[in-house]
Amino acid sequence: MRNKRNFLFIGLALCFAVIFGMTSTVMAADTIRIGVASPFTGDLASYGDNIKAGVNLKLKEINDAGGINGKKVELVWGDDLCAPKEAGTVGAKFAADKSIVAVVGHLCSSATLAAMPIYVRAGMPTISPTSTNPTIGDVGKGWFFRNCYTDDYQGKYLAKEVVPKLLGKKKVAIFYENNDYAIGLKDSFVAGAKEAGIEVTGVEAYVAKTTDFTPQLTKLLTAKPEAIFLCGYHPEGALIAGQARKLGFNGPLFGADGIDNVDYIKIGGKATDNTYLTVPFLAQSAGPAGQAFAKSFKESAGRDVDWMSANAYDCLGILAQVIAKTGPDRKKIRDGLAALNSEATGYKGVTGLTYFDEKGNCAKPAFVKMVKDGKFVPAE
Amino acid sequence: MGRLSPQNLSRGDMIRIGLLILALILPFFPFVSDYILHITILIFLYMILALGLNIVPGFNGLLDLGYVGFFGIGAYTSGLLTVHFGLSYWVIIPLAFANGAIWGILLGAPTLRLTGDYFAIVTFGFSELVVLFLTNEIWLTRGPLGLPGIAPPSIDLTLFGGPKWEFAGELPYYYLAIVMVLVTVFVMYRIQDSRLGRAWFAIRDDEIAAVSCGINLLNYKVIAFAISAAFGAVGGSFFARWVTFLSPDMFKFWESFLILCMIVLGGMGNIWGVMIGAVVLVSLSEVLRELLPLLGLPVQVRFLAFGLIMVLMMRFRPAGIMPIPAVAAKMKAGRVKRKRGTAAAELKIGSTTGLNK
Amino acid sequence: MFLQQLVNGLIIGGIYAMIAVGYTMIYGVVQLINFAHGEIYMLGAFFAVTFISVLGLPFYAAFILSMACCAICGMLLDVVAYRPLRNSPRLAALITAIGMSIFLQNLAMIIWGSRPKPFPHGTVPAYFDNTAVTFGGVNLSWFHLFIFGLTLVMMIGLNLIIKKTRWGKAMRAVAQNKTMAALTGINVNRVITYTFALAGALGGAAGVMVGAYYNSLYPTMGYVAGVKAFAAAVLGGIGSVPGAMLGGVLLGVAEALGAGYLSSLYRDGISYAVMIIVIILIPAGLFGKLIKETKKSM
Repeated sequence: MRNKRNFLFIGLALCFAVIFGMTSTVMAADTIRIGVASPFTGDLASYGDNIKAGVNLKLKEINDAGGINGKKVELVWGDDLCAPKEAGTVGAKFAADKSIVAVVGHLCSSATLAAMPIYVRAGMPTISPTSTNPTIGDVGKGWFFRNCYTDDYQGKYLAKEVVPKLLGKKKVAIFYENNDYAIGLKDSFVAGAKEAGIEVTGVEAYVAKTTDFTPQLTKLLTAKPEAIFLCGYHPEGALIAGQARKLGFNGPLFGADGIDNVDYIKIGGKATDNTYLTVPFLAQSAGPAGQAFAKSFKESAGRDVDWMSANAYDCLGILAQVIAKTGPDRKKIRDGLAALNSEATGYKGVTGLTYFDEKGNCAKPAFVKMVKDGKFVPAE
Repeated sequence: MGRLSPQNLSRGDMIRIGLLILALILPFFPFVSDYILHITILIFLYMILALGLNIVPGFNGLLDLGYVGFFGIGAYTSGLLTVHFGLSYWVIIPLAFANGAIWGILLGAPTLRLTGDYFAIVTFGFSELVVLFLTNEIWLTRGPLGLPGIAPPSIDLTLFGGPKWEFAGELPYYYLAIVMVLVTVFVMYRIQDSRLGRAWFAIRDDEIAAVSCGINLLNYKVIAFAISAAFGAVGGSFFARWVTFLSPDMFKFWESFLILCMIVLGGMGNIWGVMIGAVVLVSLSEVLRELLPLLGLPVQVRFLAFGLIMVLMMRFRPAGIMPIPAVAAKMKAGRVKRKRGTAAAELKIGSTTGLNK
Repeated sequence: MFLQQLVNGLIIGGIYAMIAVGYTMIYGVVQLINFAHGEIYMLGAFFAVTFISVLGLPFYAAFILSMACCAICGMLLDVVAYRPLRNSPRLAALITAIGMSIFLQNLAMIIWGSRPKPFPHGTVPAYFDNTAVTFGGVNLSWFHLFIFGLTLVMMIGLNLIIKKTRWGKAMRAVAQNKTMAALTGINVNRVITYTFALAGALGGAAGVMVGAYYNSLYPTMGYVAGVKAFAAAVLGGIGSVPGAMLGGVLLGVAEALGAGYLSSLYRDGISYAVMIIVIILIPAGLFGKLIKETKKSM
């Protein structure tokens, strides 16, 4: 019994020793360390992959050009599994590591919301490539910035521009996923639709990871909508497209950046034709810088560029530019980011001009693309 | 735990006091960062939860798969009362405790009459329903949008002319968590040695014998379930004020599994063992988070390992690393019977006239 | 709309029924809730996709092979995880079952990744999507008929196995009393293992059908389907095979109608609520007999 107990304590002590050892590893002082927090494993690992590919490309460019003021940049990965609790732990870890001067992340809005109080307390500047939930701006207390438009903007743009002008439709059914992203998007779309005089014939919800959407779709289709709003992410969106077609719906589908993924076409097949999407980045519509980025992304990552990678690429770009000016200090970086507050001072990246308002939000143009013959093309 | 011999007792007490002192001075070691404090607070939180859950499988021998439901109820009770009414944390603790207990009674009273299997599955369904409720009733909980901006606890002495001191950073939470763990452990030891505890052990060890001694099975089981639920809710109330953000995703089945895993690993029914289970599993997740990428393994291995721990523990050490003699005997009794009874019968009869030849 | 919702419900219900039968058979024979059964169903779908995309097998061959593999998985599950605990308290077996479920789910995630996987294009027979019958404005595709037909055939076959064959008789004997069954010369362990194999094969078949019908598989698909199938088994009366079939169909229809006419947000909640209500009010279910608490259950 006594031996066993001793053994147990040794085991425990070892556990702690490993944790302490990990955190206290001494880092070379001549690198600038930046944390990148995203779900690199788990259900949403494919999104984390996009972020990784984007920041890695920028990292290589920065370091090949000699780093920032002669100092190499080093990235520290934090896997938050897109879970708020894990995000809190990752946040605490980044905040405690004094050598990390800024964070790119988190990917999911709920993860950012959970980690933000810790970053605010520790004074850690954070720039998210993808967290579109409008409330984060209030929680961020000046330490949060994002290189993407909020859900408010996107939903209104869909309701006022895409549906009446591009599709020329007046009656729309909304099918949304029950999560923070889609609810925000749905609400702003409904508000925009009211202003634009678009009739919403029905609103139904689904839960992530469902495979059968026919009961809700049957109900939506009885009101005879002219178009269906796929308000959610691509894995479910692809299935909804297929099942809507099977139930005899042939009109256009439309959605936002959550649908934008090659898997949407891969899973949905022919059914996804005639889908319209708003996206923050579109290689074909981007300027020469964007075109060049799309080309080098394809060379390094071996696949077509997506908007998440482009945003992440620019996030690191923004940080690099600010750090070059202010030096690697958390507070100074925050002030530097906050100083990018007008069109004149904004950062010109591959996703266009980025500048922040006092809540860290930025105004970004939205592009529209569509699925035609099993391919994404710019919408005409 | 060697409570019988006085020599062991003092030795055990010495270890306990030593660990407590270590815990109290831990934040002042130079190598201890906020991250380590964060992890340690997480460990303390899981200790409270595991000790609470332990009442049901450990003291009563029933499987509870829906513990996270009560954790969620407590967390949202605390979060909503703070956001909407600005109640002090010290008022919220008893409210959360009561709310958890009420739900425990409501769920337990009709279902604890049933067999253990049915009870397990009902608790599971209940926790899923709690998550659905938290997700869908947006008017109340803000649903998947999450509940941000929960104020941290504060110690308000203005009533007595003192200062008001609001929690900031990990340190105050650390000591608050220690106090809460100590209180929980104290309550658990008191219950264990009380009439109530003895009745539970009697039920766990032999229901029929317990009934014939005049123990009202249903009443005692409902009390156990309610107390367990109440401690889950108290853990939740602390969690809400600590992370200051809630979302229904935090209360998925996985958490129930994790807490159950701590109990199984540490030793069902053993207060000390359950706490060790919490320490080991929380540290293990953190160590694996760092270690697995270095080894080139995906992080799913971490969850896979937890599943495997459960299976292997049941196979080789069903009473945990710190077994309680009664539990161990019960778990072992079945095995002996297997070797001598059925297997022998099969060997003799099954081999000669097997039906499935 | 009502007719369409009814058809939607029947299809989902048929699939629930096939999984539910697995739960109920295993519970009937060993009194164990096999939480890992949903994972076998998930494995069935992934096996089929792997056979098609890696070995290039045609759909039906992959279907049969995948059922066989799931049967083997079921047997392995029993031999490795449950058999050593046969006479331990029930709590131990339940905990093992949950552990195996988590283990298999994450193993699948490691092997196949967490992205949703479709069947490769053109591998699911093309005529499946064509309309076979139209009545009352509702189109039934050949795939619908295939699912209905297969469910029916398997259920009838299963009933015949249990009622008419020697092995079915042995199964029923083991379900009633293991010791007595052993005394009459039945190899109890082998009967139990075969039951797991049969349940696994049915679960695998359901997995392939769902995978091909919705054309999207992911490693966590077994979790929700498993829980709902379990609810179906409880509704029908756990331990009763016809009960599980009826329970599955009823639950599927209730879900479709509930989502269509009540609230789509609480769609998953319908199963849990039905399960809890049935357990509290009629614990024996529609067809089952009440299982007495045995001394063994801890």
